[in-house]
Order: sequence, then structure tokens, then C-alpha cells
Amino acid sequence: MVKLSLPKNSEVKKGKYFKDKTGSKNLRKVNIYRWDPSTEENPRIDTYEVDMDNCPSKVLDILNKIKNEIDSTITYRRSCAHGVCGSCAMNMGGKNGLACTTPHAEIEGDIDIYPLPHLKVKKDLIGDLDGLYKQYQSIEPWLKNNSTKETTEIYQSKEDRAKLDGAYECIMCACCSTSCPSYWWNGDKYLGPAVLLQAYRWIIDSRDEERKARLKKVSDELKLYRCHTILNCTNACPKGLNPAKAIAEIKKMLATANV
Amino acid sequence: MENRPLSPHIQIYKWHISSLVSISHRITGIINFFAITLICIWFALMLLGESNYQIIKIFLETFLGKFILIGITWSFSFQMLSEIRHLIMDLGYGFELQTTRITGLLVIFGSIILTILIYIIGRGLI
Repeated sequence: MVKLSLPKNSEVKKGKYFKDKTGSKNLRKVNIYRWDPSTEENPRIDTYEVDMDNCPSKVLDILNKIKNEIDSTITYRRSCAHGVCGSCAMNMGGKNGLACTTPHAEIEGDIDIYPLPHLKVKKDLIGDLDGLYKQYQSIEPWLKNNSTKETTEIYQSKEDRAKLDGAYECIMCACCSTSCPSYWWNGDKYLGPAVLLQAYRWIIDSRDEERKARLKKVSDELKLYRCHTILNCTNACPKGLNPAKAIAEIKKMLATANV
Repeated sequence: MENRPLSPHIQIYKWHISSLVSISHRITGIINFFAITLICIWFALMLLGESNYQIIKIFLETFLGKFILIGITWSFSFQMLSEIRHLIMDLGYGFELQTTRITGLLVIFGSIILTILIYIIGRGLI
């Protein structure tokens, strides 16, 4: 259901203000979404003044700096810091991306940091992605090939392998799915760009023998056709992939194939 | 656990050309639905006699009438161009970010130019 406003318990209140203590002249205000599950309070926005003279270039560096030097209670996911693991996906300056690959210089004005949109918040910047992982499981993202023995190699031509480029690089960070208004309103049924890109990845794999069954499975008014090419997904993808195009290719295959 | 808040979504997400064109496509679609109904009612009324025709004519020459007519013209122009963009996308083309920006801008400015063109031609100015 389309619901534009936030429920009562999710309305964001003004939070604390952390004034700069370093005396730096190069300050930036960083507004961070906070929610503590141990209290009954609503989420709030805390504002931090950060000394940019002693801060590396990425948004994740700001978060680390705040956690180490200003407020250790702030919670966020991060791991590799090189855009490979997808842990630090969040909404920065109104756009989804990985905190470790997003330069803060690209954000104008105050830096607003929120969790990925339209998720149940676990704490501060951590959203609950269980629903998305269940949907990922539902498309059975593994090779299905019954005609060859486990010990035999399955050959793939260079051309067929090239088809997987732009699909296999996905790190499942959920930046795309949580940027999609269709996924916000129908996330319980619509699979969303991340999962559909993976569905596409297995549909076009020449080694897979379940192509038809896979196509049939996603061929559903809600699962697939809720994509209205808004293109928030392609705009958000930190790996430069194109989920919207993959979804269009699936639609095309369904329109032309006899499934 | 049940009390978990929902993270902000449309309130904070930044708009870009494609999302603006997409939402405008929907809004103009709804406007067109009512516009066609209105036009049908006008035609039906005209069939009922000359006095009705006169009333509609007077109304359409007021500021509000002109605003509605030009608004409908723009709304149809936008819907048509945007629909062509979607048709091309349904064929699998034009998904590169730069291309989507250009086609989006073409739809926005094209609809304005088309509205002006239709107005000029309709008025017999060229």
C-alpha cells in the first residue's frame, strides 16, 4: 500500500547537538539518524560538528571519526571499507550508496545520514534486511543442472560467459531495492531490483537447465511487473550495475518466449 | 521488537530526472482520465443544442477555461512523449544513466514545446 507518511512511532525528532571541541576552522555538520531499541523513544537526528582537516575522504571515515572521537554509542555496519562487502550501505545526502566508496565532498551542505529507506530499523543506521534475503532465497540462486554428473565440467563459451557481466558483480548491498518506491510500497510481494537482477543472472546462465521454470516463477504481476522503470535502482547502484535493464530483459524474454 | 520504527523513505530520498518523469507520467495519466471524461461530456452537451455550445464556448474563453485547455494539452503532450520513452525502454534500450537523463529532459522540454506548437497551430498563427 502506498503510504507517504511515517507511522507515529517512526516520526523523527530533533536530537542532541555535539559541538566541536577541537577548535578547527574547517567544520562540517553531520546529521545522523539515531534510534535506540532499549528506550521507548522515537528516532532522532543527532548533529555532530566534525573537523574536516583531520578526516579522510569518504563518508565512512566521518562515521569512524565520530565513533572514535566524539560519540562511541553510534551504531552502523561496516567491514571491508573497499566497496566489496556491501555492509555499509546507507542513505547519504538523500541517495543510497556505500559509505566506504561515497566521497563526502560530493554531498553539498550538511551531510545527512540515514539508514536504508523503508526498512524496520534495528538500531541507528542498521535496517532489517531479512525480508530481502528470504526473497533472494526464493529465486534459488544456485546452478541447477541435472544432465551432467557432479564430477564433469560444464563448458561455457566466452560469449555465454560474457552475458553474466554486469550481473554477477552484485554484492547484495540492497542499495537498489531500498531506493525503489515500488519496493517501498509492495516490498512484501514485489521482488525488487536486487533479487530480480540475480534472478536474471541465473536465467541467462547457459549452464543452467531450469531457465523456463525460473522465468515462470518470476512471471507474476506483483513479483516482476511492479517495476515501472523509475530507475532509482540504477542511479543508486554503487557498483555501476543496471538492475532496471535486467528487469526489462526479463520482461522481454517473457513477452517473446513461450513460457 | 514490534516497536521497531520504519526508516524514512520518500521524505528523504533525492529526486532525479527519471523519478520525476515517472511520477509525472502517473499524475498526467490521472489528469488525462478526467480530461477525456470532461471532453466527452462537452461533446454530449453540444449534441443537445446550440445554447449548450454557447455556454461551453463562453466558459472556454474565460481565464480558467483557457488554463484548463492549455493544461490538458500539456498533460497529453507529456503523457505521449513519456509513453514513447517507456516503449523504447520496454524494448530494452536507453537504460544507460546518461541516456535516461537525456530522454527524461527531452520529455520535459518536448512536452512544453509541443504545447506551444499546438497552441500556435490551433490559433492559426502559422
